Amino acid sequence: MSEAAFDDSEINQEDDSQEDVMTPAELIAKLEEAWLNEKFSPELQENKSEVVECVMEQLTHMESNLQRVKKGDTKASIHRMEVDRIRFVLTSYLRSRLQKIEKFFPHVLEREKSRADGEPSLLSPEEFAFAKEYYDNTEAYLKAVALKRMPPNLQSIDMLKAVPEPCLDSFVFLRVKEKQENILIEPETDDQREYVVDLEEGSQHLMRYRTIAPLISNGAVKLI
Amino acid sequence: MDAQSYHPVSPGVGTEENFLSLDDILLSHQRHPVRTECAFPRLGFLDRSSDSEDLPEGTKMELPLWLSKGLYERKRRVLSVELPKVYKEGWRTVFTADPNVVNLHKMGPYYYGLGSQMLHFDSPENPDIAQTLLQTFIGRFRRVMDSSQNAYNEDTSTLVERLDCLEKALFRSGQSGLNGFQSWEKGRASQLTASSLVINYRKRKMADVQA
Amino acid sequence: MMFCEKAVELVRELQRLSDGQLPAFNEDGLRQVLQEMESLYDQNQADVNEAKAGRSDFIPSIKLRHSCLLRNQRCVTAYLYDRLLRIRALRWEYGSVLPANVRFHMCAEEVEWFSQYKKSLASFMRSIGGGEGLDITQDMKPPKSLYIQVRCIKDHGEFEIDDGTIILLKKNSQHFLPRWKCEHLIRQGVLEHVLS
Repeated sequence: MSEAAFDDSEINQEDDSQEDVMTPAELIAKLEEAWLNEKFSPELQENKSEVVECVMEQLTHMESNLQRVKKGDTKASIHRMEVDRIRFVLTSYLRSRLQKIEKFFPHVLEREKSRADGEPSLLSPEEFAFAKEYYDNTEAYLKAVALKRMPPNLQSIDMLKAVPEPCLDSFVFLRVKEKQENILIEPETDDQREYVVDLEEGSQHLMRYRTIAPLISNGAVKLI
Repeated sequence: MDAQSYHPVSPGVGTEENFLSLDDILLSHQRHPVRTECAFPRLGFLDRSSDSEDLPEGTKMELPLWLSKGLYERKRRVLSVELPKVYKEGWRTVFTADPNVVNLHKMGPYYYGLGSQMLHFDSPENPDIAQTLLQTFIGRFRRVMDSSQNAYNEDTSTLVERLDCLEKALFRSGQSGLNGFQSWEKGRASQLTASSLVINYRKRKMADVQA
Repeated sequence: MMFCEKAVELVRELQRLSDGQLPAFNEDGLRQVLQEMESLYDQNQADVNEAKAGRSDFIPSIKLRHSCLLRNQRCVTAYLYDRLLRIRALRWEYGSVLPANVRFHMCAEEVEWFSQYKKSLASFMRSIGGGEGLDITQDMKPPKSLYIQVRCIKDHGEFEIDDGTIILLKKNSQHFLPRWKCEHLIRQGVLEHVLS
């Protein structure tokens, strides 16, 4: 995505850590990476609320700049297009997260419950509220329509067992951002043995999601 | 992913069933022959050919998979389970000879699904069944993939009607990839379109009006 | 006869409409399944008492009926859950107001679920970006241009564009409109996107 639209501003993250000064181009690159990782991975990734908030601020800022520009200005319509494109990536990113939250809601909530202190949360506070409501709403519906009319020993179902978990054995395409050594590959068939590989920077691979999931969250690889 | 909003619960992978999957429910409704290894008091009516009150030991009948799975225990056997014909040795030889000649829709349509499910029951034939399932899939996969990737705007119905449910799903996803690519090449990928759900509802409404 | 046939019939009913359409809620079918469950349960209660009194030969029949009870529970839950997935899709395809012919296919509890879902989704969208709000049911495809050519498929009445201009959407009329303004109307089949 072009940097044209951002020429007049930089985003200063108001963070205690002081280190994070991101240029708009870096911000959009971060959003795109989060978007593709989310789109191509079978399970929900950590939330990137800070990125979403900064992009929203940036969009508002750009739109208010555009309000001031005269009609028919070609430069303005290029900027407007840029706004539309960023908004598409942002909504598509949030949609694919919401879709996974709905698809796996009991498991997503369970992971949130068993999360250790200090471990980053999968869900943003808003997503958490949504998942919780979705759970309660669905459970209440099943109870009211049918379960409460069933024999006493059959009036509840275990949502964790009923709703399928994400399939972590699916294969994903990835590009390596930082060289990785000694990645353990599990055997595919009985007559294979496990072995290790090195992943060179810039190389691309097709691998089992489960094997490289930790490398996505620490940013060493990205899905493509 | 964004284009369609209805995403049904997908069937389980391998020998797993997904509790809420409609496909898996219909798959586990498939019947296969069993023999009772004990009597079932007061359930005589389950065997249509008899009118005794109890279902006696040694009755041969067909049961749906879900029921034999529910009753099956390794230690205390109340049923012995027989394989449906397609998984027996005779048919296994046919599959090994040329998997492509078989009409799996007619023989199935859950050939792979039911076959994998049968592995839940202890049997010395299990390794052979598993091997045949795998080899049959591999042997047919190339044709399924090739035709799903090359048949653009062509009538594929004769091929498709001979496919098992799993193969059909693979074929469809290959076709939707091909169609998506073609529409992108023609510059139509960005065209905004009406929801297919909305269109189908409208069709149904028209049909209701005309009926 | 075999148990659980009614319950599978519910599942088949949905499987036949694989595009995601919502058939009318089958209250009658559901009631028949629940009746079968009640009678299976009652017979099992009676046989359990006999078994406790020493008739251990009743245990296989008790187990069989219990399998049937679980099967019925599974089919009913799957039927209801799949309907929710279809109802969810309606929110994304139609928007928050449903046409009457679709609404009539839902039972009271489904209407309630739908309105809760709408509420949750709306408050989620309002909260995006620290309270600024973003409609994520828009921008479903990557944009190619700001304005697009559209043809009106049916009379829709007056329509306001962002600069305050009001145009009349009359059947067969063509317009050049901002893309993001048209997206919902195209999905609902009011406008058709014309490619040049």
